[in-house]
Amino acid sequence: MRQDLNLPGSASTPAIQSDWQAGRLSLQGDSYPENSYELFSRVIDWVEAFLERESRPLELSLELVYLNTSSVKAMMDIFDLLEDAHREDRKVGVVWHYDPRNERIAELAEEFREDCTFSFVIRPLEVSA
Amino acid sequence: MNSRDQALLDEVEALLAMTSHQGHPLRSALERLYHHHLEQRERLERLVSIADGFQQTAQQDLHATRHQLQRQLKRQRKLSRIADRYQDLLHERNQTLEDVSTRDPLTGLANRRHLTKHLDCMAADKRQAGPLSLAMVDIDHFKRINDRHGHAAGDRALVALAQTLKSALRANDLCGRWGGEEFLLVLPDTGLDQAEALVRRLGERLRGLDLRLGAERLVLTASIGIAEHHPGEDYRDTIYRADQALLDAKREGRDRWCLAE
Repeated sequence: MRQDLNLPGSASTPAIQSDWQAGRLSLQGDSYPENSYELFSRVIDWVEAFLERESRPLELSLELVYLNTSSVKAMMDIFDLLEDAHREDRKVGVVWHYDPRNERIAELAEEFREDCTFSFVIRPLEVSA
Repeated sequence: MNSRDQALLDEVEALLAMTSHQGHPLRSALERLYHHHLEQRERLERLVSIADGFQQTAQQDLHATRHQLQRQLKRQRKLSRIADRYQDLLHERNQTLEDVSTRDPLTGLANRRHLTKHLDCMAADKRQAGPLSLAMVDIDHFKRINDRHGHAAGDRALVALAQTLKSALRANDLCGRWGGEEFLLVLPDTGLDQAEALVRRLGERLRGLDLRLGAERLVLTASIGIAEHHPGEDYRDTIYRADQALLDAKREGRDRWCLAE
């Protein structure tokens, strides 16, 4: 077991929660942090540790909106880790939720999904009328 | 090694094995030479095999590096593509924010902030040489429409007026909602005479509007004050004079325009 992440998020950083027990990592919000390396290295470390020490499934639940370039890169790094794990027959998956009023986010999620062979679902959020 | 080389070696080996040559002075030297040659040959073969091995490893490395490079390039392209699209998204968001901050949401016309900024820009532009007129338009008895028919009807009247203003203006004119039921027209390259003609046309179109509220047809009229900008005058003062002219029009019985001093 490793220390879970529970970052509240701000205008420029996403909220991040990890649940080692449940095998789940969630990120929500905008991401254009001043030091994206510092922020995302904690997330990447968590994912690497989980994949290394556990054999249980891992699910990423994303609700990201705006990402700056270094955050895009960090997300690609995380998806690469999942891809490698998937090739070793690990059960990993991504669910990317988006606001149906902003279809552009779904299109961007699709760009990320390209070349990924693991389960990558893009799903509109239920919006109360 | 070809067969002639091998035949020579076989011949030498056979000669060395023959007992009749035992004790011959050349035999010992030939035997040493023969063994020396065999050693040299083995060493050469080992060398060739090591060199081949190295070459093969180098080839494999090169192949792996090429593959890695291709992957990195592909990744880099994907990264740039996604980052560019996020940038477009941000740009659109800014555009929306700008629209929100410069447009009146009900009528879609410029809001007061946008009108002020537009006038400031015109004031700063030294090339602005021609005449300029401002007209302040106010819907008559707007409060009465609101009170009698409700705010939705008042909103409809505002939208109808806004559409009429838009259709009556020329490409370089700007109209916006100054506040409440007041609209400001900015008419560049327009002297008082031309402005008056334009305003007359506007009043006619307005009266001709078919605005129905239930069974009742609402006749929309407006009072308008027109002022021509004096060289060197502050725009705020021109607006003030147009406002005063508008008050005159109201006082004189509405549904008319007045020219400022």
